[in-house]
Amino acid sequence: MDKSMTWKVGLIIAVIALSIWLLWPLDKKINLGLDLKGGMHLIMEVVTDDALTIQTDMSATQMRGLFKDGSIKYEKIVRKSFNKIEVTGTLLEDERKIKDILDDDFRDWTYTIGGSLISLALRPNIEQQLRDQSVDQALETIRNRVDEFGVAEPTIQKEGMAGDKLLIDLPGIDNPERVKSLIKSTAMLEFRQVISGPFLTEEAAMKDYSGQLPEDLEIVKTNPRRLDKGFYVLKAATVVPGKDLKSARRAQDEYGAPAVGFSFNSQGAAQFERFTAANIGKQLSIVLDDRIESVATIQDVIAGDGIIKGRFTVDEVDDIVLVLRSGALPAPLKYIEERTIGPSLGADSIRKGLAACIGGLLLVVTFMLVYYRAAGINSVLALLLNMLILMGIMAYFKATLSMPGIAGIILSIGMAVDANVLIFERIREELTAGKSPKSAIDAGFKKAFWTIFDANLTTVISAVFLFQFGTGPIKGFAVTLIIGITASMFTAIFVSRVIFDLTYGRRKKLAKISI
Amino acid sequence: MKIFKEEPKIKFINKRYYAFALSALIILSGVYLFFSRGFNMGIDFSGGTLIEVSFKSPTSIAQVRGFLNQVHLGDAQITRIGSENKFFIKTLASLKKMNLAPTAKMEDIEEYEIVAREIRNGMLSAAEAEQTAAGKIDLNNTAEGEIARFLRDRAIGDEDAQESAKLIIGLRKSGSGIINDFAQLERAGVKHRVMSVLRDNTFLSSFTFLSVEFVGPQVGKDLRRKAALACIWALIGMLVYIAFRFKFLYGVSGILTLAHDVLVSLSFVLLFRIEMSLQVVAAILTITGYSINDTIVVFDRLRDNLKIMKKDDLEAILDKSLNQTLSRSIFTSLTVFLTVISLFLFGGEVIRPFAFTMLVGVIAGSYSTIYQSCAWLKVWESYFLKRKKS
Repeated sequence: MDKSMTWKVGLIIAVIALSIWLLWPLDKKINLGLDLKGGMHLIMEVVTDDALTIQTDMSATQMRGLFKDGSIKYEKIVRKSFNKIEVTGTLLEDERKIKDILDDDFRDWTYTIGGSLISLALRPNIEQQLRDQSVDQALETIRNRVDEFGVAEPTIQKEGMAGDKLLIDLPGIDNPERVKSLIKSTAMLEFRQVISGPFLTEEAAMKDYSGQLPEDLEIVKTNPRRLDKGFYVLKAATVVPGKDLKSARRAQDEYGAPAVGFSFNSQGAAQFERFTAANIGKQLSIVLDDRIESVATIQDVIAGDGIIKGRFTVDEVDDIVLVLRSGALPAPLKYIEERTIGPSLGADSIRKGLAACIGGLLLVVTFMLVYYRAAGINSVLALLLNMLILMGIMAYFKATLSMPGIAGIILSIGMAVDANVLIFERIREELTAGKSPKSAIDAGFKKAFWTIFDANLTTVISAVFLFQFGTGPIKGFAVTLIIGITASMFTAIFVSRVIFDLTYGRRKKLAKISI
Repeated sequence: MKIFKEEPKIKFINKRYYAFALSALIILSGVYLFFSRGFNMGIDFSGGTLIEVSFKSPTSIAQVRGFLNQVHLGDAQITRIGSENKFFIKTLASLKKMNLAPTAKMEDIEEYEIVAREIRNGMLSAAEAEQTAAGKIDLNNTAEGEIARFLRDRAIGDEDAQESAKLIIGLRKSGSGIINDFAQLERAGVKHRVMSVLRDNTFLSSFTFLSVEFVGPQVGKDLRRKAALACIWALIGMLVYIAFRFKFLYGVSGILTLAHDVLVSLSFVLLFRIEMSLQVVAAILTITGYSINDTIVVFDRLRDNLKIMKKDDLEAILDKSLNQTLSRSIFTSLTVFLTVISLFLFGGEVIRPFAFTMLVGVIAGSYSTIYQSCAWLKVWESYFLKRKKS
């Protein structure tokens, strides 16, 4: 064996050893997808519009405060949409002062002043930033909750082109309902000013407004477990948003009854302080996930922390603390896709996938052996190595094997030997043209190389598009196909050549080869 | 072994109009089917509820429809899976149609969940419904953790509870998903003390839900656009690559060939009412990347031959190139065809739509390489280049 052969054979052995090492032990190294081991797959949309609405409401509230402080006259300051505020009835003489306030405190907004009307719109880059933030925060929150619930190896990631969707894969999940309600509880804790209430019915609450509730007010239901009468009229805007809540803990009120203790971060504390100072004697409601948990009269200025009193049991306090602690969701979630795969279906798919794999392999191997004889053995060895490398790389990247992924592997079997077919056909052609076996082999590999390269590259290009487009399992298909084809460039061209050289290389006079 | 002892001398280009006619016939039928009845949209694209259910005893589609009629879902699409007692139930039903009032602010998904629950209720026999009402759990439709928890609540030790739950699920996994009777559990090794709890507090229904999927309506719209975009971009990618490696004209005829393969595959998907799903899109995209392969092989040879056979006319060069690469075109496709047929036959119902589409695509790809790719070059020559000369 000459020197170049030694390192070639060495490289192949190293690749084999590395693949086996990466794969061992098999059952620990290959992750099965949800469709194979059963579990729950969820895709949720973070309703980022709602997060923006909360932010816009707060800006409107802040503006009212600042206008009042600067004794600027106006008729109304209202939120027109999730990212627009409109101020009406301002005076021309205040324009200078208004501009100063808007320039200083509302840098995230663009504004136009037309007579007595001011229109503000959230800057698009700020809007996008807030949307991204709320998705990131939702992702983090859900991860905390799922971890706390104790699901083994969950997948939680962003999904979709707009980046506002979350993919959650929970393998082997036991109780879909319970996990879902845990994930979905927005744990949106809001402190909102009470305008009037309580009322027994929604109609009674509406009475003062002759059927038309002003835009900045809202009728909210109470949680029947805590409060007797059903409805309050609240300010639509929250005093402090849930994201400014720093921590929550189990606490007691002055009579020793269970209560929820909470602390704000500095921003929330400042806001809460300003609000309570201006509203002593008025009522404040605490709203969790759109239900009023507690209503209290503001007796003093409250800054950093406080407690929520109510008719709680200890368990209820613990539940509320758990969701609050895992972080509030900055915006509600909407389930848009849910797939639950039972354990027996997954087991069945594995059996069938394996059968199809073996069937495909046997058919291809038989064909190659019958049609190309000894050279067929060569290609079969290359093919087996291709499978080994494919699995090894998948193990290295911790890729998940799904049913479409298995289909990708099966297809790779058929596509990997294509390179051998092209080479062997070329060699036959060269032999027919009267070349000696050695130079025919040489020419076969050389001339077929670019054709194989082109052909494989086009397949990879479309697999990349598929990866871009697809979700979960389809991505798995694209990945196995790409790896399989790339590995075939090594096995069918390099390894196959080495095997030829090893078989025929040492014979001085080679009259005939079996192909 | 060799199929062609000598290089074949088939005149392919000569017959191009027959080939064009055949392809046009298939594609036009596809277009007709598209406009007359459209794709059989899977829930990936249409949204809705898809349930895979397996029954213990032989069940007919009419019987399944009977169950569904009880909950006003008689118009759901029911498909038998193979020859087994397994069915896909697909429905876009809303609660309104089922004479149930949706609560305020209810999301589509929650609505689908109730639909699934109703379907389950519809399938329970009177006796089974009675047992459910009495608080017994159905071992054929309860998850492992739930079973373990249920046993623990009934004074079974933690270890025994978990082990028994595992045995029960294991039994479901190994067979059709359904446990027939308690004796089966006993044989599997569930302890006597646990067995008596099971006999008193649980029952074995005659069916199991193998999978339950809900997809919201807005997903499909988004996906349809994305799927179409991905296919178009992949085609453009091929065009650019071939134009770069060969000539622009080759790129165009390669794309026409590819578009042919995609359209033929879709026509067959329409004809056999194969469910249009993500899988089928994946197959179409794979065909886009794969079926261009033999076209590249032919074009490679064509490029060489154009240099060697300068004196011959284009048709002769095209035929020569096709004949020289014929065995390659056939056998590269054959190897993939063999794996896809194995996937189609043994891979199970889940992957069959993918395998079917690939099967058609691979055959169409091989056929179009031989009868279309070069033919388009000939058409180009006879209609444009000749006129330029004259």
